[in-house]
Amino acid sequence: MSSSVSNSAPAHEMDRSQPAVVVEDLHRTFGALKAVDGVSFSIDHGRVVGFVGANGAGKTTTMRIMATLDSPGSGKVSMGGHNVVHHPAKVRRLLGWMPDSFGTYEHMTVLEYLDFYARALGFKGADRLRRIQEVMDFTDLTPLADRMSNKMSKGQTQRLCLGRALLHDPQILILDEPAAGLDPKARVELKNLIRILAQEGKTILISSHILSELGEMCDSLLFIDKGRIVHHGDAESMVRGTETAGETLVNVQIAGEPAKLIEWALTAPLIKIVEETKRGARLRIQAVDEDTLAGVLRRMIQDGLPVLDYHREERRLEDAFIDMLGQIDKNTFKAQPPEIRPQKNAEAAN
Amino acid sequence: MNAAPAIMDFPDRLSPMVVKELRQGLRTRLFGGVLLTLHMMLVLLTLMSGGAENAAVVSGWFDGIATLVLCIIMPLRGFSAVADELKSGTLDMLALTRLSAGRIIFGKWAAIASQSLLLMLSIMPYVVARFVFGGLDLFGEITALFYKWLIGVVIAAVIVALSTQRQFWLRAVVVFLPLMMGGCGAASFIMVSRMGGGMPPGTVFTVFTKSGGGSSTLLMGVGMAAWAIFFFLSLAATRIAPAASLLSVIKRSVNLVMLLSLLLLGWLTGSGADMSMMAAGVLSLLMMDALTERVNDVPSVYAAFYQRGWPGRVALWLLAPGWVTGLVYTALLVALVTVYVGWTRSVEEAKLVAVRAAGTWMIAALVQLFSTRKSRDLLPPFIIFWLFVNVVVATLGSLLLMPLAMRSNSAWFTCALPQLLPAGYAMAQPGDKAAFLDLGMLTACIWPAVLLIAAVFAWRHARGARQEGWRMIHGDQGGAAL
Repeated sequence: MSSSVSNSAPAHEMDRSQPAVVVEDLHRTFGALKAVDGVSFSIDHGRVVGFVGANGAGKTTTMRIMATLDSPGSGKVSMGGHNVVHHPAKVRRLLGWMPDSFGTYEHMTVLEYLDFYARALGFKGADRLRRIQEVMDFTDLTPLADRMSNKMSKGQTQRLCLGRALLHDPQILILDEPAAGLDPKARVELKNLIRILAQEGKTILISSHILSELGEMCDSLLFIDKGRIVHHGDAESMVRGTETAGETLVNVQIAGEPAKLIEWALTAPLIKIVEETKRGARLRIQAVDEDTLAGVLRRMIQDGLPVLDYHREERRLEDAFIDMLGQIDKNTFKAQPPEIRPQKNAEAAN
Repeated sequence: MNAAPAIMDFPDRLSPMVVKELRQGLRTRLFGGVLLTLHMMLVLLTLMSGGAENAAVVSGWFDGIATLVLCIIMPLRGFSAVADELKSGTLDMLALTRLSAGRIIFGKWAAIASQSLLLMLSIMPYVVARFVFGGLDLFGEITALFYKWLIGVVIAAVIVALSTQRQFWLRAVVVFLPLMMGGCGAASFIMVSRMGGGMPPGTVFTVFTKSGGGSSTLLMGVGMAAWAIFFFLSLAATRIAPAASLLSVIKRSVNLVMLLSLLLLGWLTGSGADMSMMAAGVLSLLMMDALTERVNDVPSVYAAFYQRGWPGRVALWLLAPGWVTGLVYTALLVALVTVYVGWTRSVEEAKLVAVRAAGTWMIAALVQLFSTRKSRDLLPPFIIFWLFVNVVVATLGSLLLMPLAMRSNSAWFTCALPQLLPAGYAMAQPGDKAAFLDLGMLTACIWPAVLLIAAVFAWRHARGARQEGWRMIHGDQGGAAL
């Protein structure tokens, strides 16, 4: 696998005095459904931003508009200083897009697939062959060059799609659920590729349901709910922002059926179940002092639960996200609005 | 670093889309199967054509097989050409390359046309062999083969255009209904000819004249085929083009020039009567296209017109994307053809052309009145309403018109429906004809009026986009009256 992919592709026109991405008061409705309802944010050059939200929250619609594949109902979206509606062709030259679901072609090898897209992106002759080789090396697809593109594993297909998106060396990458359905090995490989791309200075917006991975890869996270951005910040601020004072997260494992523990926790005071695990559960205890936490363990044993393990746990990004959704429903969430760097006057001409 | 094998199977000059489609298409089992089966059958037929007594039968089967392959099987390969890309999400990825919607569609069609050409050329040696063995008209046979290919590629353009519709059933109805009707017609013809005993069974497939016609006929045929291909491919491209595309400008300009050329040709050659009928047929297709475009709400589209001063503002009314300007454009076309038909044929026929146009406006009005706001593409509802209205017309025609015609009464009720009026007019009593046509014209006017009202609302709805487009060119000066 190569360590770089930005070699021979032509440079594209990009106004570096503007933020790489600016979304201002974006709205999009489908019939009565408000898919995107006033989304605003900006992303500086070279940043990796995670886009997080439940299914149907408006992530894919926002990303499709940014990728010039859908039109905004109202609001403005600029990529590299170019308005996506007025100058879609300029935006497309700057942009690499990896959709959440896509097909490959029947009767076409991996090499032919990349060759077709390289031709379609304007590469000719030796330049085209060189560029295909660079991308295949980067995505480790060279050994699969003669494999039919529709006969590959999900992970290989994702690498092929990433390779296709990188052919013209785009400065901005929009990756919609790139890790969905991948096995752990393929996920690690994909994460490594994205890390290299980030090191090359590409601006990346990536949506995923695997929040722990997003936390590791991204400089900041954008949380969207019901078509609105509800939080924009780094993973740590997200975890801290949704923390409820006076609570401790505890992971408990017992011998035998975890149902016993769940049954017990449902009736116990000060305890809420966060999630059931294979051999027990993660519990939220409304206390922080060690005496109370030890008292909970003592009661478990007294009540006949065969406790194997009982330890405190750090809150994860997933916990923070679920807490945030709960707090939004109860109107107790303190939203951290995204910082928007407005476009300079040059955009008016665009 | 492992080196990937070099890939130089197609030159850079070829459109990437054609390269892709050829790579895929030539590998399909269907193409290989058709090629092998075709050649096996042609070898057999060539061997059978040795005797003069069965030459006509062999010739009929030869024509039939070539027609089946070139005019039906190969064009049908485009049935899901665009729909598959839409469903698998690959069209989005194509849209993000430098390929325009037009080049994507053209590539799909060109690959089918090339494969079809390959098959046609592979048939040529058998034609020569039959000429050597049986003394057939070589030039006529080759011309007929060329016509079959030409008709096949026009049908392929129609089917590729239809493939932009996701709904399988809609595509199936529009494609297979004429095929089934044609098949039933052919079967009846075979039965009748067998009962008569005077016609060899293969003759039914001989749909093209062996003589090939004169060079002017050939030129006219090629010209019309080229325009038909352009029309259907541009119709398809409009359906997948981004909202900011100005494809309608090129499309409507070419179509207008084509219509004017037809009328001019009729005037120059003295065949105005024939050309006017052809123009009337072309008119209904142009109306369908222009009246099924969505109203555009992208400011840069309007800005492109405003930056060209007053000629641009005039052109906007005729050429800007969307059915509202389509209404103005079709009104101009209808006026042109009506005047021409009135001049070359008769005022009555001109009025009938106007009534038929009102029938198309009626379908467009129904689409505006009854289709949901969510439907982004107006072509499917247009086709559905068109099919529905024509079924109603056929039913009413057979149930009500025939008894009235048998009692020698004029069917005045046909004046209510533009699609029925021509049939009613044909059966009307000579004394009633003038009043019949005037009443029909009057009632037909309802539909463009309904469409005009809907157009005013739709035009107002896009006012913000027009004003934004104006501001992009002229700043905040003026633009309030848009």
